Amino acid sequence: MPLTDLGAALGIALTYFTIIYLTGLGGLFSERSGIVNIGLEGLMIIGTVTGSWGTFFFTSSPEAGGMGWGMPWGPIMGLAVGAGCGALLAGVHALATITFRVDHIVSGVVINLVAVGLARFLSQIFFGQATQSDPGQPHLSTLDLPLLSDLPLGLGRAFSNLSPVVLVALLMVVPTTFALYRTRWGLRLRSCGENPDATRSLGVRVAPLRYQGVLLSGTLAGLSGAFLSVEVQYNWREGQTLGLGFISLAALILSNWSPIRLMGAAALFGFAQAIPLRLADAPVINLLPPQFIRMTPFVVTIIAIAGFVGKVRPPAAAGKAYEGGGAT
Amino acid sequence: MMDDHGAGRESAPPLVVLEKITKRFPGVVANEAVDLELRAGEVHALIGENGAGKSTLMQVLYGIYPPDEGRILMGGNEVRVTSPRVAITHGIGMVHQHFVLVDTFSVTENVILGEEGGRILDVGAGHEEVANLARRYGFTVRPSAVVEDLSVGEQQRVEILKALYRGAELLILDEPTAVLTPGESKELFENLRLLREAGKSIVFISHKLDEVLEIADRITVLRRGRVVGETTPARSSKAKLAEMMVGRPVLFRLDKPEVEPGEPVLRVEHLLGEGKLNGISLEVRAGEIVGIAGVDGNGQSELSEALIGLRQPTAGSILLDGDELAGRPVQDIRNAGVAYIPQDRHEQGLVLDMSLWENVVLGRHDDPAFSGAFGVLFIKKIRDLAERLIRKFDVRARSIAVKAGTLSGGNQQKLILARELETDPKLLIAAQPTRGLDVGAIEFVWRQILEQKAAGRAVLLISAELDEIYALSDRILTMYEGRITGEYAPDAAPEDVGVGMVGGAIVEEAS
Amino acid sequence: MSDTGDVIAARPSVGQRLENSIGPLLSLLVALAIALVAGGAIIIGYGESPAVVYGAILDFALTGDGPGYVLAIATPLIFSALAVAICFKAGMFNIGVEGQYLVAMVTATWAALNLGFLPGPAHVAVILLFAMIGGMIWAAVPGVLKVTTGAHEVVITIMMNGIAISFVNWAVNNPLKFTEAAAGTNVDLRSDRFPDTALIGDLGGLFGYRSAAKMSWLLILAIVVALIVWLLMKRLRLGYEARAVGSAPGSARAGGVSIGAVQIKLFLISGALAGFVGMQQLLADKGYLPGNYLAQLGFTGIAVAFLGQNNAIGIIFAAVLWGVLSRGESALQIRTDVPREFVIILQGILILAVVIVYQIAKRRLARRQLQRAGAEERALEAAAAVAAGTAATVSEPDNGTSDEANA
Repeated sequence: MPLTDLGAALGIALTYFTIIYLTGLGGLFSERSGIVNIGLEGLMIIGTVTGSWGTFFFTSSPEAGGMGWGMPWGPIMGLAVGAGCGALLAGVHALATITFRVDHIVSGVVINLVAVGLARFLSQIFFGQATQSDPGQPHLSTLDLPLLSDLPLGLGRAFSNLSPVVLVALLMVVPTTFALYRTRWGLRLRSCGENPDATRSLGVRVAPLRYQGVLLSGTLAGLSGAFLSVEVQYNWREGQTLGLGFISLAALILSNWSPIRLMGAAALFGFAQAIPLRLADAPVINLLPPQFIRMTPFVVTIIAIAGFVGKVRPPAAAGKAYEGGGAT
Repeated sequence: MMDDHGAGRESAPPLVVLEKITKRFPGVVANEAVDLELRAGEVHALIGENGAGKSTLMQVLYGIYPPDEGRILMGGNEVRVTSPRVAITHGIGMVHQHFVLVDTFSVTENVILGEEGGRILDVGAGHEEVANLARRYGFTVRPSAVVEDLSVGEQQRVEILKALYRGAELLILDEPTAVLTPGESKELFENLRLLREAGKSIVFISHKLDEVLEIADRITVLRRGRVVGETTPARSSKAKLAEMMVGRPVLFRLDKPEVEPGEPVLRVEHLLGEGKLNGISLEVRAGEIVGIAGVDGNGQSELSEALIGLRQPTAGSILLDGDELAGRPVQDIRNAGVAYIPQDRHEQGLVLDMSLWENVVLGRHDDPAFSGAFGVLFIKKIRDLAERLIRKFDVRARSIAVKAGTLSGGNQQKLILARELETDPKLLIAAQPTRGLDVGAIEFVWRQILEQKAAGRAVLLISAELDEIYALSDRILTMYEGRITGEYAPDAAPEDVGVGMVGGAIVEEAS
Repeated sequence: MSDTGDVIAARPSVGQRLENSIGPLLSLLVALAIALVAGGAIIIGYGESPAVVYGAILDFALTGDGPGYVLAIATPLIFSALAVAICFKAGMFNIGVEGQYLVAMVTATWAALNLGFLPGPAHVAVILLFAMIGGMIWAAVPGVLKVTTGAHEVVITIMMNGIAISFVNWAVNNPLKFTEAAAGTNVDLRSDRFPDTALIGDLGGLFGYRSAAKMSWLLILAIVVALIVWLLMKRLRLGYEARAVGSAPGSARAGGVSIGAVQIKLFLISGALAGFVGMQQLLADKGYLPGNYLAQLGFTGIAVAFLGQNNAIGIIFAAVLWGVLSRGESALQIRTDVPREFVIILQGILILAVVIVYQIAKRRLARRQLQRAGAEERALEAAAAVAAGTAATVSEPDNGTSDEANA
């Protein structure tokens, strides 16, 4: 029944919305503070592998070498570990760009390169093999959204069996918008991204705020990656992130760096992910060879970016080296 | 309108004393054993030419740099101003020449940034506070307005409000009138008088001697890092101040060569474009220097960019000897005989990372004399050219292989001049050609421009410095809001030209 | 006009040359030292001795057939790094070498399988040409999009990489499908085997390396291409314009350079270079297009480009260094308890260290050059003033790039 497929597709879209939105929010905080972060993919990768390990570690009984916290604490700690490790790796990006004033994009590329190798290395340590985790990874029990999961015509499927993290992502817009626009911290953070000279001249130090922005991006991207490995695919595999970090970047650009508009962009790209996964048999789409259908998310991103680029306005000082507060 | 210059306040004890302040940077001594006394209820002017150390001294006072020697005293006690934050707590506020405002924030957000009064922002209360503060000192401002929508004068007021909001008793203004129209300057002076009456101490950094004589109570002159004189307007004059600033009688005028202007080389007709091109028409003849006077931001950069092809006009025409150049690519326009001294020598002039000889051929690297088949560059020929040019134009460098970024501003400008003039252009566009240069370099550049005129070329000079306009122009045009607002003879009174610079009538500036 | 008779040097002085070349080399060594020390700490954590482990890596790489393997690994990396570096010089980031070389492998495979009627050398030449074209087409997309819409090439090229992966998968399943399998046999996804005319010969034999090392004539081609690229950037108009655009686009524009044209041309050249990246595996190693082709060469090329400071000659050395480390991976497995993934970590730390150290060194060097130039200039000014008879009336020179020190 075609609508059941649509329901399933929407469910997938929600899942990928969560991933893209969380990562995109991370990128938002970083760029709003003035540090361009294209290493989001690498941060997610670290989140995937450490999140997977963390889940095993905290769930398994002490005899099996774990902490024995069982459910649901195991997966929750796994997610936390992923977020924390993302923050650690982001710290490297922060150190390079803020203290040593390396070009932001160069540093981001390095983060992505390092993350792939690091993930292999860690996987070797954690799982004894370089490219995937052990089977039987636990995950949080799913929930159904009230009312929405009862929608008729198969659409209810989209809102059933969701990870709690999806709910968290949907609600994230509230605290982030509040923090950014209604708090002292948010005002100062944004000023670092628009005009760090102005910020400094008023006695507010730019470097600590930028560090916070970047670390936050690592936390969110790491969480997003952990969500992917712990809650979505129930294991870690090399290459799992599939360019989602960059798609999140594209969503961020499209959203003009606004947490509210980012939801729309993330939803769009999330749905594009769903097309090859659940709508491959839909009319028109099924005329294409399967490999071409798999190109959909990438093509959609390209069209979106190329079409909208002239109309967006990044934080004015993002990407530019700030001459104060560095080590050189 | 005679200023009473705060008569009777000379007996007040000093608010801030700078004692034997010395500040060194790699290779240069910016301030040497400077003594300065600043009193409440007084406007104290700090004058000197580029490189004299005025801004550096105030940056030391404001905590941006630590002094290498000397100390700062407030109320008789030594204070160590280690950062702007500390300066602010001591009641010192600074308005920089280049504003440090967050364009996308509102006035209130800019004012309260850093002193928000709590973790959660109360925007409404903020607006009210800012409005009250402004009213107290006679400023007109809309707290919720977004800064980038404000005029330059209004933005400056926001900067002053920032300082007052933090309880500044001493206000440092660095070249405040450099970006204002004469009308806005008048308003600023009104505000300064009110602040003075309220007991504030004001430091007024400037190199515009007329203004200094009008507003200051006391004047301190710096030259090459040292104090060379202290006086009052009553006891001094423009000529005396200038002499103190430079150390020898200044050449305010060079001899202009007598040349009979020929046919019009450049004809601009009803030029319209984005930014501030609202219908420009003008004409420059061979052997003539036409000077466009106006405050920065009235369309000058748009005009010069349109003339060289960096900007596409939306309507109108640009004729060079009858050829239509509007909308043509830069290379075509250059090939037609147009040379360009850009306003910003780093953004539109030199490639700082490249060597001198590589910079010298930029713009002519397509020429068959310098490159050939498959794009091979004739490096020997280019190097020869570079050597010849830096000798001829007295660019001070020992080697043409050094990077252009290592040259001083004056030498960089000479390099650009050399490169552009060597093409024997029919038309030279010179936009702010002596910005940031010392007197020696200014003289050199002026001589070169006058020589172009003597050689029968057409020169369009765009400058915000009236001195420069007067020194070089055969005809003076004024530009305001993207239009030519007046034409004047080279001996016209500056007040008349000033009127043209604000649109041709005395305007009660509405904020 | 002053003509004090001073000699004005045309070329950089010996001291300057040393500074410009020793500087980067020193930075690389410092970064290498940092990486080795950090790696050493990890090795100790595994209970091994750093000397033994590093020794094993070097031994494996430099003795016996080692160099053959090393150079075979380095060959595609040279092309990849050149592709990245050439765009970088113009201020652009071509992260899409990965996708470009994949598509090039497809077009090259088509030429290999369908143009076998050509004699050996001609066939190879045509295949390489098809590879270049494939890479150029794939690189044209981000280039054109950047110039026409301003879309940032980082996101576009990554997306193109993703599309390319699916594209290769489709190609190996459809037009380039393996047709020689007997019915019913199970075989890995791949294309047909290429005719002999398509293959590139072994070079290692000349040096005494066994053919298993797969060192081929492509290495010579890589070095030649690197030299050509170096020449291009230094001595040709396009290279000059590219450097101007990368360093000061506003000034380049004002000087009549068409930024869009330069950017597109460079992306195309970059794509052509990327096309060669897969040829080592395709024509010298396997002789057919495998379904599980060698991946990550595009990203590794970025690392090598950074290591080589985006300089063609530096890249050759950086690629060899990378090859030594990669070859060393096998040494770890055979001779030590340290997992082979350790090399990846070492390489990661190395890139990080390189990028940071280079930045610090660049700034130090710039500051020193600035100071020296300032001092020289004052000396010249003083000499000129004396010559002109007006002593000490010239103001302090104000430096265009450190305005805070003035006024």
